[in-house]
Amino acid sequence: MTRARIFDLARPSRQHLLGYILLAPAVLLVGLIIVYPLVISIDLSLQAVKLPRIGAPRADFTLANYEKLFSSAEFWMACWVTLKLVCVVTIGSLVTGVSTALLVNNRFRGRTLARLAMALPWAVPEVIAVVIFAWIFDSSFGLMSWLLVTLGLSDGMVAWVSTPGAAFWAVAITMIWKGFPFVSIMTLAGLQSIPADFYNAAKVDGANVFQRFRWITLPLLMPVLGVTLVLVILWVFRDFSIIKVLTEGGPLKSTQTLSIMTYDQAFGFFNFGYASAVGVVTLVICVVASLLMLGRETRAMY
Amino acid sequence: MKRTPMQSLVLYGTVILLAALILFPVYWLLVTALSTSADLSQLPPSFWPENAQWQVFAKVWEERPIPTWLANSMLAAIGSVALSMVVSVMAGYALSRFSIRGGHSLGLFILTAKMLPATLLVIPLFSIFRSFGMIGSLWTLVIAHSTLIIPFTTWMLKGYFDTIPRELEQAAMVDGCSPMGAMLRVVLPVATPGLAATALYAFVLSWADYAYARTFLINAQGSWTANLGITTMRGEYTTDWNEISAAAVFVAVPIILIYLFLERYLVGGLTAGAEK
Repeated sequence: MTRARIFDLARPSRQHLLGYILLAPAVLLVGLIIVYPLVISIDLSLQAVKLPRIGAPRADFTLANYEKLFSSAEFWMACWVTLKLVCVVTIGSLVTGVSTALLVNNRFRGRTLARLAMALPWAVPEVIAVVIFAWIFDSSFGLMSWLLVTLGLSDGMVAWVSTPGAAFWAVAITMIWKGFPFVSIMTLAGLQSIPADFYNAAKVDGANVFQRFRWITLPLLMPVLGVTLVLVILWVFRDFSIIKVLTEGGPLKSTQTLSIMTYDQAFGFFNFGYASAVGVVTLVICVVASLLMLGRETRAMY
Repeated sequence: MKRTPMQSLVLYGTVILLAALILFPVYWLLVTALSTSADLSQLPPSFWPENAQWQVFAKVWEERPIPTWLANSMLAAIGSVALSMVVSVMAGYALSRFSIRGGHSLGLFILTAKMLPATLLVIPLFSIFRSFGMIGSLWTLVIAHSTLIIPFTTWMLKGYFDTIPRELEQAAMVDGCSPMGAMLRVVLPVATPGLAATALYAFVLSWADYAYARTFLINAQGSWTANLGITTMRGEYTTDWNEISAAAVFVAVPIILIYLFLERYLVGGLTAGAEK
């Protein structure tokens, strides 16, 4: 009788117990498949290892990987490429996403259809997007080169994937096409949470379209845009599929971001220790950057 | 708000032009799939396939292991979505309803987990799977995709449970329902749309993966997922663009259909956190 009572979860004093019981599987699983691997990779980054086995005796503690990393030109090059790509893709997605959202936020016939159409790339898997753009950026019969030649912007077909500058733009354009619908969806949700009364009141006061945008839409959209911005930046930072399938990080490492460098060091050269060091640095940059960008207010959201 | 005819014209013009521009790559994929190899190696390109080669779909379906790839993607997605949903429904409910010590830091941890680069996590996971002899098995994807999915779904579901009034369970408990029973028989049925949206979102995440599949399964052809299989159709020097495009259509169609019919739910899940 008393024993049964201990597990009587309906008793108010025991109710929190149910909370812990429900939480336990998630905590266990996350510990096992996220935290433990994360600890392993931090540990790996502090050893000089090539291809380790779990359970094998640990190699000596060393900071060699990090020393090698910070003195390697390749790492700084990858940082620069990542930064460039983050800037270009974020600005491109933000401008396209916000303007399409503002456009389909108008009332017009067929608006639902227009919304579906404008966010469709979000549903296209990244690898499929790359297949499409790899063909558009093909160096012999690709559409993009033909377009540039026809418009008189280029003298001949562009070898997109084997010219450093061109490869960067091919990657950036693919990422913007794939990434802007997310901005659009988020902005639209933000726009719809702005009460129409605000606009009506402003109109009564004689505010024109631009003033209404500047003083109502923009400030009220800011929190949503802030979060969206961070999520887009993180996405570019961590993306693997688009770059790997489109250019493999080449030519001459001109599209090799930190993410690609991590992967290639691990599975191209089997330098697991060194690769983990690159990955850990990437993670630290991601965490610090997003904490800096998210204000206290937005952070409270999480 | 009335528009002048001129304003309407500008509005519709812009919408149609932009939509055309955005959808063009998808249209181009279809045109490419339906073109002959000869059509594809001439300039200027033809924007409308004069004699559409519909048989390319049957050809690719039979000559390439596309059914196997799709089945593998499906298995990995079902496995990881099921695992993640069971775990995160419980966790989301607990975070929403009980004031749990450390609940806030758990929230912060989930946020951090969303920032984890897959390329970092793939290294230790590879080492672990290798020591268990799991490399090449689809189970690796069930586990690896869960690392992507659980942080998202737990948070989406917590947000969703927050919108369901507590009075619902309290009423059930007054009527003699146990707390567990209140969750299973009262809250979960009410939350079905939210659960469906979350599961769909998780499915899309799993279906889109390439990094994990490439790392764990590249040497096990029988376990290739759709995304991995497709990338292997690109030759080093020549690629049959019509065939790879036809294969890409097969892979993209399930997700695009989900999107077109259930856009409202997917988008609801995506924006759930941001509007608060």
